[in-house]
Amino acid sequence: MLDEHVAKLIDKKKRFVLPMLVFLFAFYFMLPLSLAFFPDVMNSSSVVFQITWGWLYAFLQIPMTWIVGWLYCRNAKQLDQWIEERKQEVVS
Amino acid sequence: MNLTYFLFFICIILCTLIITYWAAKRSKTANRFYTAAGSLTGLQNGMAIAGDFISAASFLGIVGAIALHGYDGFLYSIGFLVSYLIVLYFIAEPVHHLGKYSLGDVICARFPGTHMRLMMAVGAFLISILYMIPQLVASGLLIRLLLNIDYSISVVIIGSLMTVYVVFGGMLATSWVQIVKTVVLMSGTFLLVLIVFSRFDWNVNALLAAVQDGTPLGEGFFLSGNLFQQPLEMLSLQLALILGTAGLPHILIRLFTVKNTHEVRRSITSATWIIGFFYVMTLVLGLGAIAIVGFEQLVAADSTGNLAAPLLAQAVGGDFLLAFISAIAFTTIVAVVAGLVISATTAFSHDVYHHLIKKGKSTEKEQLTAARWTALGIGFISTLFALRLENMNVTFLVSLTFIVAASSNFPVLLLTIYWKRFNKVGAMTGMISGLIASFVFVVLGPHIMNLDGGWISREPIFQLSNPGIVVIPIGFLGAIIGSYLSPESKQLHVEEKEFFIKAHTGIATRREGA
Repeated sequence: MLDEHVAKLIDKKKRFVLPMLVFLFAFYFMLPLSLAFFPDVMNSSSVVFQITWGWLYAFLQIPMTWIVGWLYCRNAKQLDQWIEERKQEVVS
Repeated sequence: MNLTYFLFFICIILCTLIITYWAAKRSKTANRFYTAAGSLTGLQNGMAIAGDFISAASFLGIVGAIALHGYDGFLYSIGFLVSYLIVLYFIAEPVHHLGKYSLGDVICARFPGTHMRLMMAVGAFLISILYMIPQLVASGLLIRLLLNIDYSISVVIIGSLMTVYVVFGGMLATSWVQIVKTVVLMSGTFLLVLIVFSRFDWNVNALLAAVQDGTPLGEGFFLSGNLFQQPLEMLSLQLALILGTAGLPHILIRLFTVKNTHEVRRSITSATWIIGFFYVMTLVLGLGAIAIVGFEQLVAADSTGNLAAPLLAQAVGGDFLLAFISAIAFTTIVAVVAGLVISATTAFSHDVYHHLIKKGKSTEKEQLTAARWTALGIGFISTLFALRLENMNVTFLVSLTFIVAASSNFPVLLLTIYWKRFNKVGAMTGMISGLIASFVFVVLGPHIMNLDGGWISREPIFQLSNPGIVVIPIGFLGAIIGSYLSPESKQLHVEEKEFFIKAHTGIATRREGA
């Protein structure tokens, strides 16, 4: 009974964490990679406030960190709730 | 040293000593000494994590790097920040579930045994000491530059303060010193940011124009490629930065100081908010330094740019503000080194003394006494080292720390928590190959082998000064190959299962003696 629940929990967690992780690594490493391979594009003015794409992208990493962190917490809260419910079931 | 400086410094020393006195009265058990008995809230712990993490190198170094190199200086800070997501997604909650006081506890929850524990203790000890020595040396040089106090005196003052905090106040005093530091640092930098903006009538374009006039790079200041000409070097650095934090013992043991996983997550997210805002502010300070102080003066004061923030403070606010910023830098240093002392202490007194020498049978009182003596010894020895290393260039040790953490502790933690086929042999080979590879590649690299002032005067054999991109895969490969070459774990299937349940849910299915 417990094993099943835990397996299900890990599965749920995986389904959230893996895509987020692919996104995170792609978003983070695209910055140095794009600076290395497309310096001209990254150093040209972007649409916002006349700053370059390089600056814009670097700045975006900061809200990205906050949002991706917040999403994790939201998901973890749901999982915690799910664990609580299963615990109640097991007890009763 | 004039009276303003003196008052600021006395004020900070007094405040932290009062905290230590208050904490000392409450640190009567081993649990309280090592983890403050899990009494911190998520927000408090987040502030302490930020205080533990933002070293003087971040505060002064990144402002200087931005002032001198523009865009590329800012890239550094991004890696430091994003690395917290790796901690949050992979490491934080399982570490909190599995460990009691140290990372050794976490790994030994799955692979119990004396060798494994010794290995983890050695890893944690090495990383903490390697990180502490350059901080102490840098702080001695910094205080000498700022206040004209002799190098040895400043090292001894900082060394004794950190030792006093940890010996008497344990984790509780360390945490509150770090929290105070975060508050002081954030408000001080915020004040300086406001002053910089007001100088330019709150007009960002005027600031940017002044930056272009101040830097010899001209418009190139805002473009990439001033610091990292080689793409591989940049990629390698970014890799070590993003994975390194998740292996730093002094950050990870902070996760034991809160009571549940909800607070663990709150700790990490509040740390990312604080650190994120902080790096945006250092960007403004870097720009302000080059715009107001100017390139020549920055380089004349210190060629690495480390004095950019203090010089900016002096230029916009005179001696008083300079004294204030110097005091902040001082607080920053003591808070970080205190965090490192307690993590080295835990590795030695909990893992080595309590578990290996006393076989886990020492009493509460013995543990506490051992921890205090260890902290005293570590503080004393590292201060002695720092005194001897005055004229050595040891700043590369800071980046070495991130590489060692990312290539030894991080792979082993990650695979222990998530990989079912992983076994004890793999954990040992992973730790060893990561540690050895980091040292070998740093010794062969341009930090040590350098025609111009290196410890070994010759052409570097290995060209990258940040070997992360080679060393981190070696750590992972060592762990994976070690596991496959040895027979599958003989441990009972049931025990493995219990481990995974505990790691991912915190539910202990069996009562444990330890």
